[in-house]
Amino acid sequence: MVNLTIDGKQITTAKTSTIYEAAKENGINIPVLCYAKKLLPYGACRICLVEVEQMKGRLIPSCTTPVTEGMVVNTMSDEIRKVRKTVLEFLLVNHVVECPVCDKGGECDLQDLTYEYEVVTNRFQGEKFDLPTDEINPLIERNMNRCVLCGKCVRVCDEIVGYGSYSFINRGFETKIATAFDRGLNCEFCGQCVSMCPVGAILPRPFKFKARPWQLKEVDSVCGYCGNGCTVTLGVKDNQVQTIRFNEDTGVNHGNLCVRGRFGYSFVNDTKRLKKPMIRNSNGILVEAEWEEALSAAAEGLKAAGSSAGFIAGARLTNEELYLFKKLSRTVGSDNLDHSGGECYRGVTEGLFETLGVKASTGTFPQIESAQAIVAIRSDFYETHPVVGMVVNQAIRRNEAQLTVIADKKGKLTKLPEARTLMHTPGCEINILNALCQTLLAEGIAVTDGVEDVAALQAFLADYTPEAVAQTVGGDAEAIKKTARELAAADKVAILLAYGLPYSAYSKELATAAANLAILSGCAGGAGSGLYLCGEKANSQGAIDLGIVPGAAGRGVQKMLQGAADGEVKALYVVAEDPMVTYPDRQAVEAGLKKPFLVVQDIYLTETARLADVVLPAATFAEKDGTFTNAERRLQRVRAGIKSPGEAQTDFAVFTRMLKKLGQVTAETPTQVFAELSQECTEYKGIAPADIGPQGVVWGGESLAPTKKQLKTVAGLVPMDASYLLLTGSCLYHSGSLSTHARGPLSVVPEAYVELSRSDAATLGVKEDELLKLKAGDQTLQAKVKVGTRLPAGVMFMPYHFAELELNRVYKGQPAIPVKPVK
Amino acid sequence: MTDNVQQVEEQTEELEVIDLAGANAVIDKYIDMHGNLMPVLQGIQEHYGYIPEATVHLAAERLNVYASQIYGVLTFYAQFHLKPRGKYIIRVCMGTACHVKGAGRIGDAIKERLGIGHAETTEDLKFTAEYVACIGACGMAPVIMVNDATYGSISVQKTAEVIEKYQAMD
Ligand code: SF4
Ligand code: SF4
Ligand code: SF4
Ligand code: FES
Ligand code: FES
Repeated sequence: MVNLTIDGKQITTAKTSTIYEAAKENGINIPVLCYAKKLLPYGACRICLVEVEQMKGRLIPSCTTPVTEGMVVNTMSDEIRKVRKTVLEFLLVNHVVECPVCDKGGECDLQDLTYEYEVVTNRFQGEKFDLPTDEINPLIERNMNRCVLCGKCVRVCDEIVGYGSYSFINRGFETKIATAFDRGLNCEFCGQCVSMCPVGAILPRPFKFKARPWQLKEVDSVCGYCGNGCTVTLGVKDNQVQTIRFNEDTGVNHGNLCVRGRFGYSFVNDTKRLKKPMIRNSNGILVEAEWEEALSAAAEGLKAAGSSAGFIAGARLTNEELYLFKKLSRTVGSDNLDHSGGECYRGVTEGLFETLGVKASTGTFPQIESAQAIVAIRSDFYETHPVVGMVVNQAIRRNEAQLTVIADKKGKLTKLPEARTLMHTPGCEINILNALCQTLLAEGIAVTDGVEDVAALQAFLADYTPEAVAQTVGGDAEAIKKTARELAAADKVAILLAYGLPYSAYSKELATAAANLAILSGCAGGAGSGLYLCGEKANSQGAIDLGIVPGAAGRGVQKMLQGAADGEVKALYVVAEDPMVTYPDRQAVEAGLKKPFLVVQDIYLTETARLADVVLPAATFAEKDGTFTNAERRLQRVRAGIKSPGEAQTDFAVFTRMLKKLGQVTAETPTQVFAELSQECTEYKGIAPADIGPQGVVWGGESLAPTKKQLKTVAGLVPMDASYLLLTGSCLYHSGSLSTHARGPLSVVPEAYVELSRSDAATLGVKEDELLKLKAGDQTLQAKVKVGTRLPAGVMFMPYHFAELELNRVYKGQPAIPVKPVK
Repeated sequence: MTDNVQQVEEQTEELEVIDLAGANAVIDKYIDMHGNLMPVLQGIQEHYGYIPEATVHLAAERLNVYASQIYGVLTFYAQFHLKPRGKYIIRVCMGTACHVKGAGRIGDAIKERLGIGHAETTEDLKFTAEYVACIGACGMAPVIMVNDATYGSISVQKTAEVIEKYQAMD
C-alpha cells in the first residue's frame, strides 16, 4: 500500500493505482475522456491533468501516472482549470456541435465538460469536420464529425473484443478513426465501441430518437440468451425496452456484451408475440380463448394422462419456474421430465459426474483471465459464448496465456495471438483429447495422485499416440505434445467446452474425455484452474441443478417423443422450446408432437405451437422476476423491466395457476419459491435471493472441488468418409431459435446459409450469395453460399437456428452429415 | 435508410480482381521475420506499383494483423499508394520559390491537358500528378520532375511540350 495526499486528504491505496484511480476511490472526481477502467492506460487527451508537488513545473496526466509514497496531488487550481478549458476549446474547434439532435446528449462527456468549464466562446477558430456518416449497417452509426480521437473504440475492439475493426488513419488535421479502406463498419456488432465512446460519435441505430437518457428507467437484469449470464441493464420507456444501457459495475461481464445481448432485445417488444391463449376447436383450428378455459383444458389433459404425460422445458425459464414445472410433473404423477433436447447438456454433465462427481464447471469466468494455458474444445466456443471468448482474449493479450483450440473449423479463437490450432476431421475432438492424455501419461508429466484407473487408461490409450492420432484425424503430433507439456507445466489451466442443441452427438463421451484431460493435467481441483462446461441457454445450469431430468422410471426427451408417436405418452407439455425447429430429426419430432394431447407455452406461435391443442402465451426474460444460474454456477437476479403484452403471463404465473387447478397449494412469489427450492436443491442451500447482489452468488465457491478423480476410457471416432461433410452449429449472431425473432441479430444474419471454403467454392463453381443445393440421403437442403476462410476443403457449415431451412430433416444428432452438392 | 443506398452500393462494389501470387510470394519471403509488416508492404508495392486492397486482406490474414491496422500504416506513410499509379509520375514543386514563380499555373496546365490534379492518375495509367514540397532546385524555379528527369524554369508552354514528349513514348 502507498500513502499520499490528494486535495489535502490523506489517502492509502494499492501500489498499482494511478493518481486518477486513487482519487476516484476516495470520491475525488477528476475529468477523463480517453481513460476507461477496462482498457490499458493511454494518456492522450490531457483533460485529466493535475499538479503534483514533487513534479513541479508541469502538469501531470493523472490517468497514467502511478501513485508514489508521500505524493502530494492537487486536482484543481486556476492553472489546471485554464489548461482543461484550453483542451476543450481545441476539441471544439472542429467538432460539430449538434447536441439537440445527438442521441448522446445528456450523457456526453464533452457536453458535460464544456458546461462545467463554461466554454462559452472559443479563442481558436477552424474548419469544422465535414465527414460522411457511416450508416451502412443497421446497428451502429458512426459520425466522425463528433469524434474526439480518444481512441477508446480502437482499443476496446482490439484489447477486449479482439476483432480490430478500427485504426487511426492519416496524419495531422486529417487524422481520424476508420476501418480498413475507410469502408462501412462490418464486424461482429458487439457494440463495445458504442459503450466506450465518450461522445456521440458511435451510436446504436435502433435507439436513434427513441428517448433522452434521463427519460429511461434502468433495470438490471440478466441476458436471456446464453449461459454466459451477462448483466444487461434494460433502458425502459413507455413499457418498452428501448435499448440496453452500458453498465460496467454489475455482473461478470464488466459491461461487455455480444450482439445478442446488446441488440437482440427487440423480440421483447415484437407485435407478433402471443397475447391470448388458444385452444384447438372442434374443426381442428386454433382459436383464441380465455385463460380459465385454456388452463382447465391443459390441466385436465395432463391429469388424464397421469404417469403417461411428458414435460419438456427450455432452459430459458428461471430457476423458480423450472422448480414449479417439476412440481407440476410430480403432481400429475409423471417421471417423464427433461429439458433442451435432453441429450446435449444433460449428457455433458453426466460425463462429468462419472469422472469428477460434479455436474458443473469447476471454476469461475474471472479465473480464466489469469490462466497460463487454455484449451478450447471447438472453435464454436466463441460463437456460443462470445463474452467468455473476450476473457480468453484478455488472458492472452494481458497475461500471455497460451491458447490451444481443438477444432474442425477455424474461427475467431484460432486467430488470437499465438493461438495453436489442432485441426481435426469433423467429429474427432475425442481423438485429440485422448492424444493429449496419452502424452501426459507417456511422458510421466501427468498428475496421478489420488486418481483412479490410471493404468487402465494408459493401456487403453496405447492406440492414441499423437503420431497415430495426427495420422488418422489430422492435427500435428508435435503440436499436440507441446500443448500437453504446457498443460502440465501451467499452475492455472482452463479447459473450455461449450454445448448446445446442435451438438448433441457424443456429448457425454466428449465431456468424459475432457474430464480425463482435466484430471491428468491437474486442472480439476487445482486452485485457479477450471474445467468449464458451458450450456447453450441462459439457465442450462439451473436446469441441471434443479434436476429437470427424467425421474427413476421416466423418459428423456427423445424417448418421450418416441413414446408419444407410439401412443404410450398421451400428453406433452412443452414450454419455451421449439422442438420442430431446434431438435434433431424433424420427422421423428413431428410424429411425436402430432399424436398426443399437446400443450405449448411460448411467446410466439412457433412451429411447435401450431401443432398444439392448447397454446399459452408466456413472457420474456424482460418481464420476469427470479434467478438464472449461469455456466459458472453463478446465481443472478432477473428483474422485470416491462409488463407482458396483452394477456400474456410469466411462466411462473401460469405454473402456479395450473398447480392450483390440480389442487396444489404453492407459494405465490418467486422469492418464496426460491426459499422452497433451496431446501430441496443441495447446491442452493443457504442462499437467499436477498443475498444475491450485483455480482451474484456462486454456489460451491470459486473452485468447485471434484468429489472423485475417476478416469474413464472413451473411444475416439473413426473419421467419416465422404467427399463433403456438413457440420451444423451456432453462429455468433444467434442463439437457439429465439434470436430469429430479434431484429438486431436478424439484420446482420437474416437467413440460413451454407459456408464453405474458397477451394470448394471454386471446385463447385459457386459464388457468394448463389444458391447451393445439398443432398443428404433422400432430403435436399438449399441455402445461400457464404465463402470464407474458416473451413477446410470438403467441410461445410450451416447454422441451425432458422426454421425455414428445416435443417433437422437431415440432422439427426450425427457428428457430421455426408452431403452431395447438386448444382 | 434509402439515403444509404449509395453508401451500400459503394461498399459492396466488387473488389478489383487481381492475381495474388505476387503478394503471396512477398509474404512467403518475410513470413518468419520479426517486424515484417513494412517490408511486406514495400514488397507488395514494388510488385504491383501500388497496394491493392485485396493484398491488404491477404496480408492481414497471413500475418495475423488487423486489416484496419495495416490501413493505418498505409495512410500514415506518404510512401504507400493505394491506387494504381501512372507510368510517368509528374512531380510539380509547390515550394515557396516555385510558388512565387507561378507553380500554381503549371499545376493548372497539367490539369488542363491531362485532367489530373494532385495524387490523381489518368485512366490509361500513363500519368500521375503529385504536388510536392521544395525539391531542392530553387535556382531553376519553377520546377517539375517526370520520374527521374528534372525540368527547370518551366512555363505553361514548356510543360505542354514535356507532356507531349512523354505522351509520344510508350
Ligand atoms: S461493434 Fe464490437 S467488433 Fe464491431 S467495431 Fe465495435 S467493438 Fe469492434
Ligand atoms: S469514435 Fe468515440 S471512442 Fe472512438 S476515438 Fe472517437 S470519440 Fe473516441
Ligand atoms: S448472449 Fe451470452 S454472451 Fe451475449 S450478451 Fe447474452 S449472456 Fe452475454
Ligand atoms: S484521461 Fe488522462 S489523458 Fe485522457
Ligand atoms: S521551391 Fe521548388 S525547388 Fe525549391
